[in-house]
Amino acid sequence: MQIKLRSAFKGTLKTLYAISPMLLAVIGLIGLFKTFITPEMIHTLFNGSMLHDMLMGVGLGGVSVGQPFLSYIIGGELLDEGASFYGVSAFILSFVTLGVVQLPMEFSIFGFRFTLLRNFLSILFAFILSWAIAFTLGAVS
Amino acid sequence: MKKNKSGLIMLGIVILLYAVLFSIKPDTTLDALGESLDVLKMIIPILLIVFFLMALLGTFIDEKAISKHLGEESGAKGWLLALVGGILSHGPGYVWYPLLQNLREQGARDGLVIAFVYARAIKIPWLPLMISYFGWIFTLVYTFYVVLGAYLQGVIADKLDNKKRNL
Repeated sequence: MQIKLRSAFKGTLKTLYAISPMLLAVIGLIGLFKTFITPEMIHTLFNGSMLHDMLMGVGLGGVSVGQPFLSYIIGGELLDEGASFYGVSAFILSFVTLGVVQLPMEFSIFGFRFTLLRNFLSILFAFILSWAIAFTLGAVS
Repeated sequence: MKKNKSGLIMLGIVILLYAVLFSIKPDTTLDALGESLDVLKMIIPILLIVFFLMALLGTFIDEKAISKHLGEESGAKGWLLALVGGILSHGPGYVWYPLLQNLREQGARDGLVIAFVYARAIKIPWLPLMISYFGWIFTLVYTFYVVLGAYLQGVIADKLDNKKRNL
């Protein structure tokens, strides 16, 4: 058991070592995005129409990075400023399920086919679910 | 885990990007570096937990057990494990990728891995904040659809995988 545990830890360290350059690169990019792309820039891109806001929400959510609570704060302000629930839901969903910045890391770990499929499904479902969420909210209220 | 040089190349590009931006906007670039260090500090404990889990899984759970619980015949239990695991998992998604790839290599189905990753859109620690911004009805509707969406994506991924194998 001890030998097995030791070899498992060795394998894990090897994995950590193998992914560390990519991990550091992604973290470096996150810092740049957080500093150079401000929430104000994001605000100016929504206008309240369903399709436009959904497209913007998915696109901006996909390139934005940070803690999930940031998407709630930005989303809350967007709603106050007239963006639709379609756009805000799409933004929050893609903020946490898509990540252009971490895409190279995803490709290098999971391979091309799996990463492509996962991201394609995430984009598709960002549209479907944001529509379903906004539609359900409209029906409930 | 596949070994390749893409990580080093990517790191080189990012360092170059920092150097170029530093020559244009030194203060903002230093702020960005500070932000990156904060992110690094935040993920180190989570990274340690993930790698500890990987080592434990590697020691105590063999491929047979993984394919039984997360493989072809895992059924409802597999879905439950993937969805609940995704909801409970902590920290940024990319920290979990090596562990998930390990599980895939040992027989876990792609559909379950995709469902796990998507279920991570539900962040339990942040739910109170979501309720305070958007109300509990939005939060409930959002949570329901994310779980449903995660499951459906997993089903689609499995169907595509089966098709590929049958070709």
